[in-house]
Amino acid sequence: MIHPIGHNPFATRSVRPGALDYIFPTDLRVEDVVERLRAHGWWGEIVGPHGSGKSTLLETLRPKLEAAGRHVVAMTLYQGQRRLPPQGRHQGEWPTPAQLVVDGYEQLAMPARWALQRRCRRARAGLLVSTHRPTGLPTLLHTAPDLDVLTAIVNQLTGGDFSVITPEDVARAYLVRGHDVRETLFDLYSLYERRRRHDR
Amino acid sequence: MNTPRVTLSLDAKAGPYQPGDVLRGQYEVGILHSAEVKAVELSVLWHTLGQGEEDLAVHFFERLAGEEGDVLDLRAPHAFEMMLPNSPLSYDGVIVKICWCVRLRVFLGRGKDVLTERPFQLGAVPAAQMLE
Repeated sequence: MIHPIGHNPFATRSVRPGALDYIFPTDLRVEDVVERLRAHGWWGEIVGPHGSGKSTLLETLRPKLEAAGRHVVAMTLYQGQRRLPPQGRHQGEWPTPAQLVVDGYEQLAMPARWALQRRCRRARAGLLVSTHRPTGLPTLLHTAPDLDVLTAIVNQLTGGDFSVITPEDVARAYLVRGHDVRETLFDLYSLYERRRRHDR
Repeated sequence: MNTPRVTLSLDAKAGPYQPGDVLRGQYEVGILHSAEVKAVELSVLWHTLGQGEEDLAVHFFERLAGEEGDVLDLRAPHAFEMMLPNSPLSYDGVIVKICWCVRLRVFLGRGKDVLTERPFQLGAVPAAQMLE
């Protein structure tokens, strides 16, 4: 038997937004969020701290928006990115009806936000953003880190196998990382590697 | 639509493959009554796995597609072979790993597809060790 290269359930391909589904609170479904967005004329924001699942939620919403007839124009802004990438500025190239989805909206300088809102109004496009702090758009959902949700994610990633990474490991890393789910999963990758190699 | 039963296998080999070795295998697609296979794509590729951005490159690619409106009949085993390259060699690193695999994607009607992978090892680079 030739053993393939070691698997790690916390690798980027498994934990990146889009690979994981957002886990909703028990009283909310993805359709409810789409409905709230529709009720606000397809404008709204998702607010939450770093690593609380905003990007994952946007990815989970994406196919539902497409199914609702919206044509998603998505962009992600990184630390210190004050201007929109080209697809956010070239309004003439947006499909109709366009749904702009901006992950990391708080990075934009105020003039860039106003310009984007003007373009969206002119094109009758929707605007869905994620942000660390409220920015004045209708708030659809506050995301908050939660140890139970994180444990459910780990359960999903490991197929329920807690023999290498235990629930106590998850709780400890979550505390050390100040309740940042993304950074916790990053640490669990390293812990998994250490244990796997030690046990070999 | 029923999902077809896809079998992808590599010929038995003792130990890892070496650069220049010929990789041989076969696949077959067991079609259930309502499943239609529009095309299949076979790739031999490597990809990285780890904590950062991922990379991928395709070493071999073959596509079989039915003529317009036709469906493919792949119930008989379909063999493939290709020579493996010199690099990159499989590597079980801590931050990044290099993984080789044969990937078969079966395209069904209505935009659905089925993906099957068979990993293999190229070369015998020792796994990285972590310093305590």
